[in-house]
Amino acid sequence: MTYSLNEIEALSKRAARGSGLAWGLAEEAAKGTRWLSAFGFQGTDLLADLLEMNDRIPAIDVSPVSLRAAVWHAPARRMSPLIAGASLSDCAVRLMERGSITMENVCVPLLAVPFMGGAALRLGHPVAVEWGGVRVATDGRHLCLHGETDILYTRMTTEMVFSTPAKMTGTKEPVMRASVSPQSWDRLAVFAHRTFAPATDESRLKGAGAGLNDND
Amino acid sequence: MTEVPNRDPELVMRLARLGSFHQSRLSFKRVLTRRMAAESWRFDCTAFEIDGNGEGHAVYTANTPERTYSLIAFAHDLPPEKRSDRVIAEAWDATFTLFDGVPEDADIQRLAQNIPLQEAGRVTGRELSVSRANRSVRLWEHVVASLAAGDQPETAQIEAVGYLMRTTAVYGSGKLGAADREMIADRPEFRVPFQVEMLSVYLTRWFVTDLVQHMACCRAQQNGTTAAKLAPQIARSLGIGNSTGLGMAPFLLNHPVLFNNWIAARETALSRVRGIDIAKGADIALFHELFERSTLLFAAWQSEHPLQREKLAALQADVVALRLCLQTIDLSAPHPWDRLYQWAEQNLSLEGQEWVVSLLLEPYGALVDDLAETMAADNTATFRIAGSMTIADLRALLERVYHWAIETDWSLPANRARAWYVSEEKLEPRLGERFEEPVEEYEQPLAPGRDAAALHRALSHWPDDAQVAEFILRHPEHRHALRRAQIVGRAPYAEIRDNTISERVMPIDMLRCKLAFFGATKFDPRSDRWLRISMYGNAPLPQELTSDTAEYWPYPDLPKGDA
Repeated sequence: MTYSLNEIEALSKRAARGSGLAWGLAEEAAKGTRWLSAFGFQGTDLLADLLEMNDRIPAIDVSPVSLRAAVWHAPARRMSPLIAGASLSDCAVRLMERGSITMENVCVPLLAVPFMGGAALRLGHPVAVEWGGVRVATDGRHLCLHGETDILYTRMTTEMVFSTPAKMTGTKEPVMRASVSPQSWDRLAVFAHRTFAPATDESRLKGAGAGLNDND
Repeated sequence: MTEVPNRDPELVMRLARLGSFHQSRLSFKRVLTRRMAAESWRFDCTAFEIDGNGEGHAVYTANTPERTYSLIAFAHDLPPEKRSDRVIAEAWDATFTLFDGVPEDADIQRLAQNIPLQEAGRVTGRELSVSRANRSVRLWEHVVASLAAGDQPETAQIEAVGYLMRTTAVYGSGKLGAADREMIADRPEFRVPFQVEMLSVYLTRWFVTDLVQHMACCRAQQNGTTAAKLAPQIARSLGIGNSTGLGMAPFLLNHPVLFNNWIAARETALSRVRGIDIAKGADIALFHELFERSTLLFAAWQSEHPLQREKLAALQADVVALRLCLQTIDLSAPHPWDRLYQWAEQNLSLEGQEWVVSLLLEPYGALVDDLAETMAADNTATFRIAGSMTIADLRALLERVYHWAIETDWSLPANRARAWYVSEEKLEPRLGERFEEPVEEYEQPLAPGRDAAALHRALSHWPDDAQVAEFILRHPEHRHALRRAQIVGRAPYAEIRDNTISERVMPIDMLRCKLAFFGATKFDPRSDRWLRISMYGNAPLPQELTSDTAEYWPYPDLPKGDA
C-alpha cells in the first residue's frame, strides 16, 4: 500500500515520542523518516528497528559525549543515529571547518543520512558519508548512492565518516509517494499508541467541548 | 507612498485580537473565486445518479485553463440518530473527494468503497481531499417541503440558518493517503494555501443546491405535482456551514512559518494601504459602499454564546462610531487610511479594529493581491537548528519574543490549568484539566510560552559564548522550544504571544483566526472550543461567476435605492 509522506511523518513523530524521545528529537526522527521514504528507502522499517532497540532508554546514554572530540562516541558504546545526526546538522558549520566528522558504533546508520541533507542545504555544499564500503552523498535535494544494500541497511556500523564538500555522482530524485510495509506500520503504531490518552466519557464531552446539540 | 511599518507582533499576536479577525481579500476563498473568474474556469455536472431516497453519486468538474478537477459526491440516506458533527462520528449525509482529473468508472467504484467510510477508508495520490457534510435538519426539510409544494422557502428560515449542509471535516495534504501538498503545490492554482479545500467546498455548495432541488422534485412527483425551482437569489444566499472543533486549534501552533506568512501578508497589505498619500475618489466611494454592505453582514450575524454576543454588541457600537467618524474625517486629505486606522485603534473594540483592517484592503486589489502568493510556506530551511548560535544570542532572542512568558509564574496552577492531548478516538485533539484528569503524560507540545520560559531558565548557568549545539545535546527536552525560538527570530508573526494552557484560554480564538483566513463569516461559537461558520454564503454559483461577481460577494448587496 502506498502512503503519503505526511502520513509517514505524522506516524513517525508519534512513534518516536512514544518510544520516549523528546518532542524536538521526535520531530527530527519524523522528518528523517519522511526524507528516506521519499528516496525510496524503507524508512519506517529502519525507524521501527531503532525505536525497538532504544525503547525508553535515557537519550544521554546514546548521545555523543562531546561535539569537540576528534571521534564522536556515546557512553553506551552505541550511538543513536537520530541524536548524532541531529547534532551533525546542528554542527554543519563545524563540519565545514573540520572537513570531516567521524562517529563510532552508530546504530541503523542510514537513519543518520537525512541530517546530511539539512547540513548540505545550510552549507550550500554536498555532504557525503561512508561506512562499511557504502558511500552516500546529498546536496539536500538529490541523493547518490554506491554500495551494497545489506550494508546500507545494517543495524550497526563501527565507523561512519561524514565529509564536506563532497562530489555528487549519479543522482537520484525524490518521489512523492512511498510504499510502506504493513509490518513496519504496525510496529510504529504500537509506539504511537502510547501517546494517545484513553478516551473516557468525560473527555469525550468536556475535552472536546461538545454537549450542545450539534444535530440541528 | 509613505513607508508605514508593519504592526508590532506584540500587538497583533495576542489571542483576543487573532480571535477577532475577519475575512479579507487575502482570504483563501476570495483568492480562489478571483482566480476562477480571471481564468474563466468552466464548470460542469457530468454525473448525477441519485435516487428518490437521496442515495447515489454525482460528479462536478472544474476546468482550469490547464487541468480538470472533479468533485465526486456520495449521497446517503442517513437515519437521524447517526447524524453528529463530531469528528468521532461514523456516518454522514454526504461524503466527498476532490479528484485530480476526470474519474473513470473504476475510480468511482473504488472511491465508493472508501469515501463514505472517511477515516476508515483509504485513498490514493489521485485524490486531493476527503470531506463530509451533514444536513441542517431544520432548514433541509423546510426547503424540500416548500419547493415540493410549489413555494419558495421562507426568507426568515433561510437567514436563521444560512446553509443546507455543513461540513464536519475537509481533509487535504496527504490525509488518509491523499496527495501530499508537495505533489501539487507548484501548480499555479494551488500555490496559495488551502485552495484544494476551498475548491472542494465551493463545488460542494453547488452539489447541495442541486441535491435539495432533486429531492424536492422527487417528493413533488410522488404527490403528482411539480416542484418550484429554488430562486437564484436564495440559492446564492446559502453557504456551506462548517462545524469546527479543537482539531483545528493546534494547526496554527504546529505550522509557525505558514502562520507567520499569513499574518505577514495581511500586515504588509495593511501597511501598504496606510502608506497611500492621497486616495482617489473612486476608492473612497468603494470604501464607503463596502462599509455599508458589511454592516448588513453583521446585522445577520447571530450567536447564542455570551462572549460572542458581547463582541457583537461592541461591533454594533463600532459601526455607529465608524459611521460618525466617516462623516467628519476628510479622506481626500493626505494619508487618509493611516489616519483612519489610527482612529480605529484608539476608538474601536478589537472586532471593530480588525474589521477596519479588512475594509481598508478592499479598494486596493492592485496594491495588495500579489501578497496572496507569499502565504504558502516551505519549512525545509526553517526546520534546521542553527547550532552555532551563542547562548547569549539565544537568551536575548527569548527575552525579546517571550518576555511575557518569562515573566509568567508557571508554578501557579491557573497558568497551566489545561493540557492539550490526543485521544485514542480517531486521534481527536482535546483540551484537558491538568490537575483534574490523568492527561499530563500525554501532553502535546502546544504551550510555547511555558516551554520557552523553561528553556530560558535552563540556560541561566551556561556561559554566553557557548553554542546552542552543545546545550541542546545535553538537553534534548528543549530542542522543540529552541527550534520555535529560532523560527520566530526569522519570522516575527510565527508565535502566538499568549498562554495557550491558562485556565482562561479560549481555543475558539485560534479557530476563528484560521477560519477568517479561509474567508469564513458569521462565526458562531457553540462553546469555548467549537464553533459554526458559513462559507461562500452570498457567493456567485459557478454559472454566475464573472469578474464582476467574483470579488465583493461576501458583502451583501444594499437594498435598491441605497447604493
